[in-house]
Order: sequence, then structure tokens, then C-alpha cells
Amino acid sequence: MAKVMVKLDGIRKQYGETTALSSLSFQVDQGEKIAVIGPSGAGKTTLLNILARIVEPDEGRLEIDDQPAHRYTGRQFAHKVGVIRQQFDLVGSLPVIHNVLAGRLKDWGFFKSCLSFLWPQERHLAVEALARVGLKDKVYEKTAHLSGGEQQRVALSRLLVQRPELILADEPVSALDPARAHDILAMLVKLVEEEQQTLIATLHTVEYAKTYFDRIIALRDGRLYFDLPASEVTDEQLSQLYHLSELNQYVAAH
Amino acid sequence: MWPLIDFHKKNVLTGLMFLVFLSSLLYIDWGPELIHAGGGTSLWQMVKGMFTPDLSGDILLLALVASWQTLVYAVAGMTLAIIFAFGFGTLASGVLAQGSLGRSGLKTFFRGVLGFMRAIHELVWAWLFVAAFGLTPFAAVFAIAIPYGGILGRIFADMLSDVPPQPIRALQAAGASRLQLLIYGYLPLAAADMTSYTMYRFECAIRSSAIMSFVGLGGLGYQIDLSLHDLKYSEVWTFLYFLIGLVIVVDLWSQVIRKRLVA
Amino acid sequence: MSLRLSLLIALVLIMASWAHIFFVDQASLSELFSEENRQHGLQFIRQLIGLEDEHPAFLEGQSWKKALTLTFETLVMSIMAIGFATTAMLVTVVPAARNVAQGSLTLVRRWYNWLIFCFFRLCYIFSRAVPELIWAMMIIFIFNPGLLPGAIALALHNFGILGKLCAEVIEDLDLRPIRNLASSGASKAQIFIYGVIPEVLPKFITYILYRWEVIIRTTIVVGFVGAGGLGMEFKLSMSWFHYTEIALYLLCYVLLVFFVDLLSEGIRRAVKS
Repeated sequence: MAKVMVKLDGIRKQYGETTALSSLSFQVDQGEKIAVIGPSGAGKTTLLNILARIVEPDEGRLEIDDQPAHRYTGRQFAHKVGVIRQQFDLVGSLPVIHNVLAGRLKDWGFFKSCLSFLWPQERHLAVEALARVGLKDKVYEKTAHLSGGEQQRVALSRLLVQRPELILADEPVSALDPARAHDILAMLVKLVEEEQQTLIATLHTVEYAKTYFDRIIALRDGRLYFDLPASEVTDEQLSQLYHLSELNQYVAAH
Repeated sequence: MWPLIDFHKKNVLTGLMFLVFLSSLLYIDWGPELIHAGGGTSLWQMVKGMFTPDLSGDILLLALVASWQTLVYAVAGMTLAIIFAFGFGTLASGVLAQGSLGRSGLKTFFRGVLGFMRAIHELVWAWLFVAAFGLTPFAAVFAIAIPYGGILGRIFADMLSDVPPQPIRALQAAGASRLQLLIYGYLPLAAADMTSYTMYRFECAIRSSAIMSFVGLGGLGYQIDLSLHDLKYSEVWTFLYFLIGLVIVVDLWSQVIRKRLVA
Repeated sequence: MSLRLSLLIALVLIMASWAHIFFVDQASLSELFSEENRQHGLQFIRQLIGLEDEHPAFLEGQSWKKALTLTFETLVMSIMAIGFATTAMLVTVVPAARNVAQGSLTLVRRWYNWLIFCFFRLCYIFSRAVPELIWAMMIIFIFNPGLLPGAIALALHNFGILGKLCAEVIEDLDLRPIRNLASSGASKAQIFIYGVIPEVLPKFITYILYRWEVIIRTTIVVGFVGAGGLGMEFKLSMSWFHYTEIALYLLCYVLLVFFVDLLSEGIRRAVKS
């Protein structure tokens, strides 16, 4: 029996008048690969931000690895949870190696970080990680000169160096073209499996969710719409998930 | 680590520049003779004057008149500067020239002229004019007009040559002449940028105008000079506050215009 | 306020200004271009280029030596000035950025941050609204004539300008990479080293060099009030009517300006790549 990695209980979040999430509860076991889908405005990003502790829920409990999430210090939390987003998350003016080694900052003191800025420390870690994502020849390139897909692979190798137990991916491929997106997702899933990590990703595209993930959580209007193994999700459910919400918007507008 | 040399180039340069700054400090003979015998008291009185500016009616009236005079020279100087900048700027942008040889020749020549105009500080120009023509308000006006014409002209030229080429080609296809291209194509396309830069320069012109007193012309700088020599620091600060106020008003005005132009 | 109103105000201002010059100051253009003035002007130029002088300064080694020493001193003054201004700017610029005061950059919000923000911004406005020369006039009452008061006066004015420009650079920072560094467990100091410095440094350097170019043009002016360098000697020669010396100093000044322009352009290009 795998241990419980994430436990949400009655999470609610309100932004002014709009309810982003209401009484959301579910549980994630270690090693699961979960896709969170739903129409835009359903609360996917809010959910991920709550999991990453960037947003505080108004109500409810969040436990990561059997401990309330707020108990962790920033550094401890970075050992548990790593985040990857769209491609704009790297410091463009730094060489690739510094962006990768940023995953080690949580374990480094001030002095070592300064030294590493001048002379990269634990270089082998970064080189190995970059080799695993196929960017061995770009170690010293300026990050801003890389293409979108390459930048996402750099972000992946940062996660490899950071080695968290849970990876949160917020629309990791929404800025990429379909071919690139498949590459990145396949790589993400493969690396997560190799490292025996847990993965929760929000996605625009249902097709990706069914191909690469083993469990799909659908949100609509801040509520859980369904939570099923990927193989059991039917086309009908999906069309209802997206269609109904459009219908609701139509009704609300008239 | 050689592969990081590109990344560290700017860090090394930054370090070098810092060292140059530090070694420049060695040039100064750091000692008590750096400061005037009465320097401490002067400083104290200046700071005191900052919080107790002279707000008597006479001084306020004087400050108002001096502010107007400062504004007058700045506006008049800028008018001429804009005219110079238009003339030289369009010539230096090369948009009027036919053929690539004529264009680059024209460009180089007029860019050189503009460079010379702005290389010399407005006060030096003022000094030269007063020495040559005697004390006349035109010395101040021309002294502002020439370097500001140089700066504006250079920026106008850059803005004109950065105009997107598609609308210009469309006009060309419609059979417009070079001059028509300038009036209906280049100028309207660059007008917003040119206006907001001119407004920014106008703010600087106010400051330049304030220091024209040094060649004997009136204005806020002249009053500050007089009060300083009478050691009346509270009056100095009254005039300074008027100058700061004038600059802020112009700054706010140009911000409003810039916002309107962007929207 | 609409643009049309602005245009109207501008036109009224322009007409009123020229009217003031012609009618209140009684300045006349025809007098300016009179025969007498033309003679006077020509005479001035003849004197400058040394036609009236048996020993023009620019043909004497001694004068050149003196002029070049002064030029070097002027360069030193400009470097000190930009150094002082940069140091003061670096100390104040972080709290003077709006996104720091709001806490969106540092992710901590404290009430006194706004207070500090307003204070530094006020300092910036104050220091840049007063021209270098007026700062120099005041400072010369505190310091003895020399390079230091000139450098301080130049620094005071440029501190405000650099502060404003660089605070805007920090305000325009992309927050996404910084948040991501924070979520990979980086401390505030680490975020500063890896997320802030590399992004802002090239832009800071561009602005600093650009202000340096302006400062070198202004060094001569603060010299007029006794702040040392080429300007001080320039003014002395003016009052002794040593025209060829004036011409020599002007020549050195223009050469220095072009030299600094070239140097700063070169550094800027090196930093950009």
C-alpha cells in the first residue's frame, strides 16, 4: 500500500464575488500521475497554487506527506514539492547551468550560492540532469537563446536536481506546438516514473490527459465534476464537462 | 571556466568599472582642508533654510517673475530647437535622399553636424554668444536651441528611420514623391514618439534656462546666485522650491501627454 | 486634459515667450545681426583661432601639458561623480521600486515600506529637479574649490535621475522566474543573486554609462563656479581674455566628450552581448 502524498479536505477559495473552489476534497497516493482538466475558470490553477502554497485556502485542510502543508518551512517544502509552469519561469539572462542548479539552492548556504554564481558548484549534477533531457551540449548557453521546448526541458532538469517527491505542473505545455508538447509531456512522465515521484498536472487538452496520465480529476465551476482512472473516462463525460459549462455561461449571460 | 566567459564578461567589466571608480578616489587629498573654514556652519544653515524658506510677499513675487523669465527662455529656446531638429533631423535620417550613395553621404554629414551641436554644453554656447554678441536674451535662446536641436535632431532622425516600412511602401506604390512620403508617411507615424521625447527635453530645458544666469541673464538661477552671495539661505530655498515646482509641473504635463498619446 | 488643450497651452506659451523677449526684454534681432556685431563676432573668432596672438596657447608645449592635465582631472571628476551617484542609487533603489513597496516582488508586505518608498522617491524628484550647476554653487560654500565639490554636485543631480530610471527597471522585472526560484526553495538573498541581479545589471549599466556621457559634458560647467577641472581654468582664461587658451580648453573638452562617448559605446556593446 503506497503512502498518501496529498490529502485535501474541504478546500474553499473565494476571490471577491467569485468562488474559485468550493469544498474540494480528494487524496493522492504516492506514484500517481494525475491530470486536472476542466474548462477555463474552473479553478485548476487556483487548485495548483494552493497545493504549491502560493495561495492560501479560505477554508479546509491540506496535508502533504502526512503533515499540514503550512508546517513546512520554505526549504523543507521545496524538498517535498517542485513546480513547473509555462516556459517563462527561467531567468533568461543566466546560463542554462545556473537555472538548473537553482534546484540545489534549497540545500546551499549563502556563501556557497555566491561562489556558485562565479563558479558553478556540483556541476556534475547539472550536467547529468541536462544529459537526461537531451541538452548536454547547451550547458553554458544563455537561457534566453533557447527555444520554448528547450527551455521547458531546462525546467525539467531543474526539477531533477531539486528532487521533490511531488511535482506540480501548471499548463506545462500550453505555450508549445503539439509536437513539442508531446515530447515534453512524454519526458516529464518518464522522468517522474524513473524517480518514483508523484505528478499532478493541469492541462488544456484532454487528449494529453488520456494519453499520459493514469487518473483524471475534472473540475467545473470550482467543484469536483468527476475523479476517475483515465481509462474509464468516456467521451460523453468529457463533452458534458465542457459543453455544460458553456451552456451555463450562455444562460448566465441572458 | 571558459564556457562561462560570455556570462562573466559583464560581471568582470562591472568589477573593473568599480575599481576605476575606487582608484579615482585616490586622486583626492582626503584631509580637513577639503572643507571650508566655515563649511560646517554653511551646511547647517542650508539645511535649516530648507525647512524655513522665506515666504514673504516680496520674495514670492520675485520668485514668480524669475520663474516666468526662466520659462520664457526655455520655451523660446525649445521652439528654435524643434525647428533645427526638424530640418537637420529629416536630412540626417536620409528619408529625403534618392539613391544609397547620396543617402549615406547626407546621413553622415548631418549626423556629424548634430553631434557637434550637442557635444558642447548649453552654458558654454551661452558664454561664447555673450562674448561674441554681448548680453542679449538671444544668447540664452540660441544657447538652448543649439544643443537641444542637436539632441532632438539625432533622436528625430532615429525615429524617422525606425518607422515601419509597410505603410511607406504603400504610399510609394501610390506614386507619392519623397516630400509627400515625409509629410503623409514618416511624420504622422513618428509624431507620437517625437512629441513625448520633445516634452521630456522641455523639462530639461527648464533646468538649462535656470542656469543661464551665469552669463548674466536673469531668471531663477540669477536670484539663487544673488541670495547665495548674501548668505540668505532661506531665500535660496524659496527660489529652489519654485524651480522644483516648475520642473514637476512640466513633468506632470508631459506625463499626461504621453499617456494620451499611447492610448 | 485633452491633447488639443495641451497644444493650445503650448502655442500660447510659445507666443507669450517670444512676445516677452521682443517687447519686455526689448531684444531686437536686427541689432543682433548688425554690422557692428558682425565685426565683433569675427574679431572674437579671430582671437579664438589665434590670429591676434603672437604665441597662441595651442602651439606651446607648456599650455598643452597643462590643458591635458586638466582634461585628465576632469575625467577623474566625472568618474567620481558617476561613482557617487551610482553608489547612492544602489543603496536606495530597491525600496524605491513600487513592486517592492507593494510586496509583490519580496512577497512580504509591511506598512513602513510605503513610507520608505515615498521618502526615496521624493529625494529623487528633489535631487534631479535642481541642475548640477546650482548644486555646485551651494556646495562650493561648504567645500574648498577642487574636484570633490564638483563631483558631489554632479552626483547629486544624477542620483535622482539614475534612481528614477533604475527603480523603473526593477518595477519592470518579470516576476514569474522569481516566484519560481522561491518555490524551488531559494532564500531571499539567493533570489537576489540569481533572479534580480543578472536581470537588472545590464540595464543599470546602460543607464549609468548614458549618464556618464551627460556628466562629462557638464563637468566643464560645474567648473565655472570653482569646482575644479577644465571649467575652472576656462573661466579664468575668460576673465583674463586669454582667447587662445579658451580655444585650447574647448578643443580638449570636445575631444574628451568624443573619447568618453566612444568608450561608453564600446562598454555598452560588450555588456549587451
